[in-house]
Amino acid sequence: MSEFKRNTSDPDTSRRGFLRGGALAVGGAVGGMAAALSARAMAGEPSELITQVQEWNQIPGDGVDAAPYGVPSEFEADVVRRSVPWLTADPISSVNFTPLHALDGIITPNGLCFERHHGGVAQIAPADHRLMIHGLVDNPLVFTMEDLQRFPRENRMYFLECAANSGMEWRGAQLNGCQFTHGMIHNVMYTGVPLKLLLQEAGVKPNAAWLLAEGADASAMTRSIPLEKALDDCLVAFKMNGEALRPEQGYPVRLVVPGWEGNMWIKWLRRIEIGDQPWHQREETSKYTDLLANGQARRFTWEMDVKSVITNPSPQAPIAHGRGHAVLSGLAWSGHGRVKRVDVSIDGGRNWQTAQLDPMRMPKSLRRFYHAFEWDGTELYLQSRAIDEFGHVQPTKTELRSARGENSIYHNNGIQTWQVRGSGEVENVEIS
Amino acid sequence: MSKSLNLVLLLAGLCVSAPAQAQDADAGQKIFKKCKACHAVGDGARNKVGPHLNGIFGRVAGGGADYKYSKAMVQAGDDGLIWDVDTLAAYLEKPKAYIKGTKMSFAGLRKDKDVANVTAYLQSFSMTSSKPEAEPSGSSQSSDEVVAVATTEPVSQLMRATHGQYHLGRIALPEEILAWDIDVRPDGMGLPDGRGNVARGGELYDEQCAVCHGAFGEGEGRWPVLAGGQGTLKDERPEKTIGSYWPYLSTVFDYVHRAMPFGNAQSLSNDDVYALTAYLLYLNDIVSDEEFELSKENFNAIRLPNEGNFVADSRPDELHYTAQIEPCMQDCKPQPAEVIMRARVLDVTPQGQEGETTGAIE
Ligand code: HEC
Ligand code: HEC
Repeated sequence: MSEFKRNTSDPDTSRRGFLRGGALAVGGAVGGMAAALSARAMAGEPSELITQVQEWNQIPGDGVDAAPYGVPSEFEADVVRRSVPWLTADPISSVNFTPLHALDGIITPNGLCFERHHGGVAQIAPADHRLMIHGLVDNPLVFTMEDLQRFPRENRMYFLECAANSGMEWRGAQLNGCQFTHGMIHNVMYTGVPLKLLLQEAGVKPNAAWLLAEGADASAMTRSIPLEKALDDCLVAFKMNGEALRPEQGYPVRLVVPGWEGNMWIKWLRRIEIGDQPWHQREETSKYTDLLANGQARRFTWEMDVKSVITNPSPQAPIAHGRGHAVLSGLAWSGHGRVKRVDVSIDGGRNWQTAQLDPMRMPKSLRRFYHAFEWDGTELYLQSRAIDEFGHVQPTKTELRSARGENSIYHNNGIQTWQVRGSGEVENVEIS
Repeated sequence: MSKSLNLVLLLAGLCVSAPAQAQDADAGQKIFKKCKACHAVGDGARNKVGPHLNGIFGRVAGGGADYKYSKAMVQAGDDGLIWDVDTLAAYLEKPKAYIKGTKMSFAGLRKDKDVANVTAYLQSFSMTSSKPEAEPSGSSQSSDEVVAVATTEPVSQLMRATHGQYHLGRIALPEEILAWDIDVRPDGMGLPDGRGNVARGGELYDEQCAVCHGAFGEGEGRWPVLAGGQGTLKDERPEKTIGSYWPYLSTVFDYVHRAMPFGNAQSLSNDDVYALTAYLLYLNDIVSDEEFELSKENFNAIRLPNEGNFVADSRPDELHYTAQIEPCMQDCKPQPAEVIMRARVLDVTPQGQEGETTGAIE
């Protein structure tokens, strides 16, 4: 309960907060019901978990080094990335999804960050990797990984969202679980060199306006990026959450393009060409262009708009505890900057309340929100609506469809609805 | 006590000498006894019967200063032989077989492990070497800079880093840029010399592309469709292909060249890619003559039909963003919510059965 109190760092306040919260729950009308439930449990048989000495109380477990690189508890075996096999022809060019419903806070553990590759996972020894910068520069340069690590570096927390996240939902509710509807996102602390420094090292010519970033994998992934963005906040990163990038995230080095669609964050980054025009590569013409109802298509739709989703409860994380005190939790983000506010509704958008935002608030990073409510066991329609610091309000799916039609595939940031039944089961639905 | 001190020193040593594996190098030091008669390495090493081996990694064969190599070794260097893990291994295994006419009278190391260890040992002197021959005279760089510049990259020794603020990295050579710079722009920048016609493209396509993309570009199973779909962009199920959707032909050339055939990327010659691009135009009814030949010269004359239908990002102009009204908090809808669509009806979530889909990821 103390997690909802703002000032948790002060032990006194949080303890008082906890006590006060507890008293409220017991005293309140619905809270009385919850209290009655736990009182019944207390009045029943004593729990053997407590009265009996358990195996783990008695027999020592593994010593140190049982797992030189630690792995999650065996009881967390369900918390894995999952894919939707019918989406793509071949796993070599495919995608899987972050299990958002099983995570809390804002950091995505490295092993759970969703994957999207177009030519499989390249395995590259750092000693064999080179990054070339050429084109409209004074000195075309080649860097080794050692060279890169001698530049000044920064640590920054950013979300990476695939532009196609929620893309399967354009024509209506389809996939049952926020892992699948919203799981093409992760949020990681990157350590890397500002791209600006590398470009300055090569010396960018005055007529330069664009750059082409290319990967060393079998798809030789490429994207055109305006120079302005490259000089603003892009990073050439070699660490994620403190350790080396995972191979599936571009080891040994990837591009970080904060707030912009994930496809541009070239993994296994091996080449940056500076030019005066965009290249119109396959991933910015055939793909990652947003087809509108009138047959025209938007191109270079880079920013990821303001968006949020309730991760608990959600179809893969139903309410198991029955009626009583309940906590709803979710994630909000905006490619434009910081999330300023999140509203939640439990009645399908008729009435809204402002959710409790976790204090960790970085621009272009996930933000965690919580909302506590008393569940009386009736049907609920849960929604969340994020607002960023520039006043962008997350639109409804209806608004998006009326502006763009249903064939956009990309950039679906519409408000998600979860239906909670009396049983606690949750389903992805669309409502009137 | 002294043991833990050693560990600290060892760790400190590891930090500076980077990738070479310490253990291999230790074992390699023993093997190097077999070389010591003729070679010196380390601080103050000089040429003996053979050249000193400081900084050998990344050095051109026969490239040591003030040593008279055999003609064969000099020739090997001129032909581009650069010492690295692989070339050293080959030479040390069978010197005379690898470089016919080398004057190194050494039978060779028989065990792969010995070769690996001794190269690891030599590598450790390449990491820290700042011997004069490793760089041109007159440099005022710190030895640190020489390390990264001199040893991780072969050619760097021939060049001094004078660029930028940190002097990191080294100049990319024209051949290297040529090898990697394969991108093509709509204005034709980057197109290589070459040519190929529809008929040749058809042969290549049937051999290398049709299994996945279908005989007519219609796409087998879930593999991408490459042809057709013209006039469907406003339909409920638009078919986006080269002919119906792609704005520029340069993208076809560029993409096929860099990424296709799937599973064997960058295996096609420039002529092959011209021919395949010509054939894809033919499959999309943009050219109709089987004799039509596409080349660098006529490439820019061809326009794809949908070029004019791409517009700038206009999301910021959408009403829901421009309205700037305070979002409604109370009594926002007249009626209670009613379900109009459910995910379960489709049941296409992985745990369930495979079913009909209403949209696919791209
Ligand atoms: C009997 C003397 C002798 C022994 C023993 C010997 N070498 Fe050599 N080595 C030479 C000579 C002489 C050359 C110059 C070869 C030439 O110019 O063709 C040479 C050349 C080399 C080169 C190429 C140097 C350059 O600058 O291009 C390497 C590397 C090398 N030796 C490594 C080794 C190693 C490692 C061992 C031990 C495992 C070894 N050699 C044992 C005499 C010897
Ligand atoms: C083993 C199956 C396979 C073969 C063989 C193959 N492709 Fe592909 N092709 C793919 C896949 C998969 C993609 C999509 C890759 C991605 O986006 O990650 C693709 C994409 C394409 C595209 C882009 C389609 C679009 O709409 O964006 C073109 C053009 C293409 N291939 C041409 C070719 C040509 C030409 C050949 C023969 C030289 C070829 N392909 C051989 C599987 C194949």
